[in-house]
Amino acid sequence: MIVSLIVATDLLREAARRRWFLVLGVAITLCLVVVLGALRLDAVDGTIAASRLAASSNHVDGRTVDVVLRPIFRVCAYLIFYGGILFGIFSCAEFAPTLLSPGRIEHLLSLPVKRWQLIVGTFIGVWTIASCASLYAAGGLTVILGIKTGVWTLRPIVAGLLSTVAWGAIYAMMLVAATLARSAAVSAGVGGIVFVGGIVASNRANLLPLFAPGLGRSIFSLVSLMFPKLTALGSLCARVASSEPISSAGLLSLLAGFAVFTAAGIAAAVWCLEQQDF
Amino acid sequence: MSPPPQLKDSSVTDAASARLADVVNVVGLCKTYRTGFGRRHKKQVLSNLCFQVQRGQSFGIIGPNGAGKTTLVKLLLTVVRPTSGKVRIFGEDPERSHVRARIGYLPERLALPPASTPSEFLTSICRLKRFASVQGEVETQLARVGMTADADKRMRVFSKGMKQRVGLAAALVGAPDLLVLDEPTDGLDPIGRAEFRNIVLEEKQRGATIILNSHLLSEAERICDAVVILVRGAILRQGLIRDLCTSKTRWRARFAPLHPDIAISEAGFAETEELGVYSYDTDDPEILNKSLDRARSKGAVLVELGPELRSLEEVLTEAIGP
Repeated sequence: MIVSLIVATDLLREAARRRWFLVLGVAITLCLVVVLGALRLDAVDGTIAASRLAASSNHVDGRTVDVVLRPIFRVCAYLIFYGGILFGIFSCAEFAPTLLSPGRIEHLLSLPVKRWQLIVGTFIGVWTIASCASLYAAGGLTVILGIKTGVWTLRPIVAGLLSTVAWGAIYAMMLVAATLARSAAVSAGVGGIVFVGGIVASNRANLLPLFAPGLGRSIFSLVSLMFPKLTALGSLCARVASSEPISSAGLLSLLAGFAVFTAAGIAAAVWCLEQQDF
Repeated sequence: MSPPPQLKDSSVTDAASARLADVVNVVGLCKTYRTGFGRRHKKQVLSNLCFQVQRGQSFGIIGPNGAGKTTLVKLLLTVVRPTSGKVRIFGEDPERSHVRARIGYLPERLALPPASTPSEFLTSICRLKRFASVQGEVETQLARVGMTADADKRMRVFSKGMKQRVGLAAALVGAPDLLVLDEPTDGLDPIGRAEFRNIVLEEKQRGATIILNSHLLSEAERICDAVVILVRGAILRQGLIRDLCTSKTRWRARFAPLHPDIAISEAGFAETEELGVYSYDTDDPEILNKSLDRARSKGAVLVELGPELRSLEEVLTEAIGP
């Protein structure tokens, strides 16, 4: 496991010097600065006395602070969830193919590194990037709103961390594609397919009646069954962030599904790598 | 140098390949690639290779393009898995981490992480090989390859020669017991090649075993004690360079100055371009001695006699055939 962590550390160092991630850091910081400067919330005894976003009034004066913050946290949770995944698909697609590129993989495999350790290390590295970005965005927002309103909650941070579970599942499949094709484009393409497939799978029950009974419906039913329920987890993150009640059993079952999907992806990537000659 | 490894696997001991004096033991090694749709097409790259590399030996792998030299090197390091046959390094399976920790490898086309510096790259290798004194080792190896001044520059801007130097430093990290160099001087200028040669010879003096895959035969000739000649995936010749290059049918005789040229020629010796040096073709020492007696009886004075030494290029050309 130590070897995997060394691989992950190397990946993080490489990522820190890529423009993509500098852009991500700057973009999150800019968003936080804009929220800090443009959103004015004057809270007195737990209620909003005056509010203003940029130059417009928001007609929320007199409501309790936590009620006003709910939609803000909800929108931010969705942004972190979907925005983070989409950004990750494009910015992280290159890591595994670079690691497996001719001249690099031969050298790595001649070192005391097992093939599975390379895959696990890459996954840990990329997952850490996603976690740091989510924590920075959600944590920054929590701190800003906490300072402005006096309401301190960890729920947006928990929601941000939950969103990395979805990213992990998608990246596991991107790893499989990368080990098979050693191409960033193919890896990103597979990430996109899992992303869309995950949204479709979440709305499976609604979409199924649109198919006429028969082979088409069966195929759709079977294929959509294989994807993780992305929208369901996204909605759950939003509910967690906005302090809405959630079913613990539903959350656990959803997380278990994602964990199985991720583990299967990593196992498949390891198997593919073990079969290959370089 | 670390102590010789203990054999842990009983399957290792059964074979003749388990001689501890041999650092590398290759027995019946075959590699067939499957290509095309459904991987139905087979292409045999290596067939039934058997050889040993002894401790402290410098061993060259030579042959024409497409002979399977790089595949063989990759098989030794398990970057490529064999179709059949067995490779043992230090008497053990090369997949084992402690075996790999004792190997330094410079691949043919090393791709370095562009955003990293040589110092970071070598530090990472030290950590993967679990060395205690990382910083000192990194500085030492970078100094050996003349990269101290560029130790903290990103490798994205490096020339091919500089990358090759960093690759060599990476291979040298931790004083490996086995150094595997695949086309190591590719991209180096003549001075760089000389520096590389000196470093490899230093490693040899230290007691490291060296495997060199190079298309530069002069380089192999200068560095290696033994070679294997690989042609179309099969071993055509193998052995010590001095044995391979020594002719068994042609002799080289030097006679003292002022010798009677005609007498020597009449005895069956052929003149060469070198003054006073003659060659004689026979595989029978008695015939050679009779001819020498005939020349000496007519006044010729022999000062030097020995089998003719050929270059590695001539040996390779002869092995490949017309």
